[in-house]
Amino acid sequence: MSRSSPPGLAAGIEEFVFPGEQEPVLAGLEVSFAAGSLTAVLGGSGSGKSTLGRLLAGWLLPGDGGTLTGFLELAGTRLRFAGTTADPRIDPGSWGRQVGFVPQDPAAAVSTVRATVAEELAFGLENAGVDRESMVSAVRHTAALTGLTRLLYRDPATLSGGQLRRLAIGCAVISRPAVLIMDEPFASLDTDGAEDLAALVRNVVRDGAAVVILSQRADVFLHNADTWLVLAGGTVAAAGSPTEIVAAGALEMAGVVRTRPHTGLRPLADAGYSSAFAGPPALELRDVSFTYRAAQRRGWFRAQPGPPADIVLHGLSLAVSAGEILAVAGPNGAGKSTLLRHLNGLLQPTAGSVLVKGRNIGGQPAGRVAAEVGLLFQQPRDQLFERTVEREVRFGLERRQPAADQAVQQALAAVGLEHLAGRHPAELPASQQRLLALATVLARRPSVLALDEPTVALDGYGLAALDRVVRSTTAEGAAVVLVTHDLDYARSIAHRLVRLDAGRLLPAD
Amino acid sequence: MRLHPLTSLAAAGSTAVITTAAASWPLSVTVIAVAAGLSVAGGVARRMLPAVAVILVPLVLSLLAMHGLFFPEGTTVLAQWGPARVTVEGLHFAFERASQLSAAVLVLLLWSFTISVPDLVAALSTRGVHARFAFVVASTLTLLPAISSRLGRIRQAQEARGLVIRPGIVGRAGAFRWQAVPLVLSLVEEAGTRAAALQARGFGSSGPRTSYREVPDPPAQRWVRVVLLLAAVAAIAARLWQPTAGA
Ligand SMILES: Nc1ncnc2c1ncn2[C@@H]1O[C@H](COP(=O)(O)OP(=O)(O)OP(=O)(O)O)[C@@H](O)[C@H]1O
Ligand SMILES: [Mg+2]
Repeated sequence: MSRSSPPGLAAGIEEFVFPGEQEPVLAGLEVSFAAGSLTAVLGGSGSGKSTLGRLLAGWLLPGDGGTLTGFLELAGTRLRFAGTTADPRIDPGSWGRQVGFVPQDPAAAVSTVRATVAEELAFGLENAGVDRESMVSAVRHTAALTGLTRLLYRDPATLSGGQLRRLAIGCAVISRPAVLIMDEPFASLDTDGAEDLAALVRNVVRDGAAVVILSQRADVFLHNADTWLVLAGGTVAAAGSPTEIVAAGALEMAGVVRTRPHTGLRPLADAGYSSAFAGPPALELRDVSFTYRAAQRRGWFRAQPGPPADIVLHGLSLAVSAGEILAVAGPNGAGKSTLLRHLNGLLQPTAGSVLVKGRNIGGQPAGRVAAEVGLLFQQPRDQLFERTVEREVRFGLERRQPAADQAVQQALAAVGLEHLAGRHPAELPASQQRLLALATVLARRPSVLALDEPTVALDGYGLAALDRVVRSTTAEGAAVVLVTHDLDYARSIAHRLVRLDAGRLLPAD
Repeated sequence: MRLHPLTSLAAAGSTAVITTAAASWPLSVTVIAVAAGLSVAGGVARRMLPAVAVILVPLVLSLLAMHGLFFPEGTTVLAQWGPARVTVEGLHFAFERASQLSAAVLVLLLWSFTISVPDLVAALSTRGVHARFAFVVASTLTLLPAISSRLGRIRQAQEARGLVIRPGIVGRAGAFRWQAVPLVLSLVEEAGTRAAALQARGFGSSGPRTSYREVPDPPAQRWVRVVLLLAAVAAIAARLWQPTAGA
């Protein structure tokens, strides 16, 4: 392929160092993304993918955000950085008009100053002064592409994880940027969402944009990419076509997860499961129904009429015995996370009851139930709030007791984070944040473990740690309920698989 | 009919100005009663009450202490401790000032609690208000909800780890010490990432901008706003012209 036109986006990074750090995060890295091409940047946890993405997208600005030596080149204009105060400044606004970005945490893309999904989609267009008619049609078109049509009048703060990802993608593509950078865009999307996204990427590439997808997983779709760049330790460890990279075995080395193309349905790990533990089921749901209370104002001052609140859970009944692993699958917005929040009392059913070890937890404060039920949130950032990894795991354990010290050590060791005890949780890469959140749950030795999309953002090593943890806790008699979109994973580990669709439980397949 | 946010702002502002300028307690008390009635009818009374208490209780108490106890012109003495004299005139004056102030605070609070922030921001930006200013207004008005949702998320994370919080406002207030530090740290951190996202999406860059949200502004409401502003100006003029009126 020879092109005379300059690349859409290129960068030569001799070194990039975060403020106050010594070690560079990125070093000796040269990349270039041609118009009309699809590039996948693959790498394990901490390889520097997200930093590279944010730097290329103008979300991390050289200068305030860190010291860059090297160059960035957008649409034929090259900016050189020497790490001094005389360096050029990137204007994020005009950079952002040419480069669209979907951050790894979709919540970070939402402006929070807009009241509905439609307005949030239009936000970038408003700031560019696009007239209203064009905005309305762009919003409608983008919503159709990303499956947001039915959610246009919802408050972005009430979206489910996958719905929020779709919104972040919509916000990035609505202004048709010449370069599109997406960090783990397939994470927590359901099958339809993933297909929509694949089609969208194909169209955007066909229309001549340069698309860059950063990922821990060599997804099936990414085999369509023109180029794979394997990132390890902040530099490009291998580059080439997917077949070349696979042949060279560069993925396993870098900790990238390889997904096998589906070859029929794999049987469940242990189809004929019968509990080795006697007594009442560890967890039981009886006719649980739930509706989110509408946060609308009543009375005269209602601003604009919103849609009425939908019933999220419809009379669910379910029992999980000790030592059993139940996987829950289902489309985005089906109510999976809502269901898990009922298990530890963070949400109380509007009708029906939840029993843990045969005891009804209705009306009990969530803090009490937490002794028995550990919940891993869908977004690790929502679960972490302390200043260091160690304090994070210790929170809520009996203080100043040798037993607590031991529990903290064991939990950190179980997920392989013991060497990071003094680090700040917010500085950890996403994979380690999820493992840390898992450690905070494990430290309490719960008898029911509820995991909300635990595989998302985990690299190969993280997945191995998760697998170990789930198997060993069930061996000790804990019941595990895990929500996932990765059916292959679900089948590899679960004894039973159910589908939650529009708030109703169906047996899978 | 929906009120344009600027119309309700004009109504609240001019009511506050007129009651202040008129300085007549029957008017102030009427305004207080109407504002209270509207807040109940509008279903915002419960949310508004804490804010009202936080602002008004110290103000009213200090007014009572100042004028009720030390009012040099007072003649009808009710009680006396050394230099402090409780006089009828002093109490009357304190009551007058307190009702005047409460009326103004109440209507402005009522406005801020009933307004639709998105409508206001859209109205400002279509009026060509400078981008940075619109940014400041939008982020200030969304600050409280943002803080309270952050707080809620931290609270849930802690409850999921065994922090027992009794339901209801008292239980939450008691547990607040666990959330204070994480809240501040996460708000600081979030402000950084939020700013990057907003800037990259063109918020704060100069140049014309448009608004997706349509806020209808019928001509009748424009006239109402003009009349309200004129009335406020007239009230101030009358006050300056005839400084003793009403007092
Ligand atoms: N706080 C809230 N207020 C109102 N509605 C909400 C709230 N949180 C979630 N919802 C809605 O409830 C439904 C179920 O949400 P939930 O988060 O349980 O979905 P989910 O199955 O976990 O989806 P995903 O796969 O995207 O994570 C969705 O339609 C969602 O938009
Ligand atoms: Mg979810």
